[in-house]
Amino acid sequence: MFTIGIIGVLTKRNALILFLSIELMLNSANLLFVAFARYWGNSIGLAWVFFVLVLAAAEAAVGLAILINAFRSREVVDIDQYNSLRG
Amino acid sequence: MNLIHLLLGLVIILSSLGVILLKKPVHSCLSFLLTLITLAALYLQLSAPFISVMQVLVYAGAILVIFMFVIVLFQDAYKQIADFKAESSSWLIFVAASLFVIVLALLGSHLQNISYPQNTPIGFGTVESLGKTLYLDFFFPFEAVGVLFLVALIGAVYIGKKDV
Repeated sequence: MFTIGIIGVLTKRNALILFLSIELMLNSANLLFVAFARYWGNSIGLAWVFFVLVLAAAEAAVGLAILINAFRSREVVDIDQYNSLRG
Repeated sequence: MNLIHLLLGLVIILSSLGVILLKKPVHSCLSFLLTLITLAALYLQLSAPFISVMQVLVYAGAILVIFMFVIVLFQDAYKQIADFKAESSSWLIFVAASLFVIVLALLGSHLQNISYPQNTPIGFGTVESLGKTLYLDFFFPFEAVGVLFLVALIGAVYIGKKDV
């Protein structure tokens, strides 16, 4: 699942699908946290899952706000055309 | 028990493949929703009911709604990249696939002789134990995450303004 997310980030050119792939990677990390918390029987892993959830929510909000703003000024969602920061 | 885990894992993998393989962003989003709900069911199986509820509330309830909202906003923009293909995608897929094989080999060699713990400790995964962990052992990170969330909120509102 993490690998699927990485493939998505590396190969997709649609900025929205890219964000979804990042969420996929965060989710796979979450699944590992829950599984190992269950395996070791303590709730520290669950606390980390909580933090990752908050992080994902913040990342989605800020990222999509940036995306909306970029789209408003450039009118494209293809990230290959956002290369004006390239040196 | 084990069969349910396998089935849920299969659905998770298939639907997350759907996220990156489906053409339309709406379909990708719905596939992601399926992934999230199946993950919540898996968390329930792993005796973490509170995390499962949080997964549905935060991910399926909040984050996915934001994604859907943006998709609705950008509906006409997707026509121009309908048949777009990255030129360097083949070797990138090769890199990611080799990473997958490496991870699978490492996990497989370690998880060969792992045994599933049958007895859950009392109170595992409840709101009470998680809250105790959060507020006693992880108090400073918890507050830091709160500040991070506030900063993200303000930043998102600021970026989303008409004239930045």
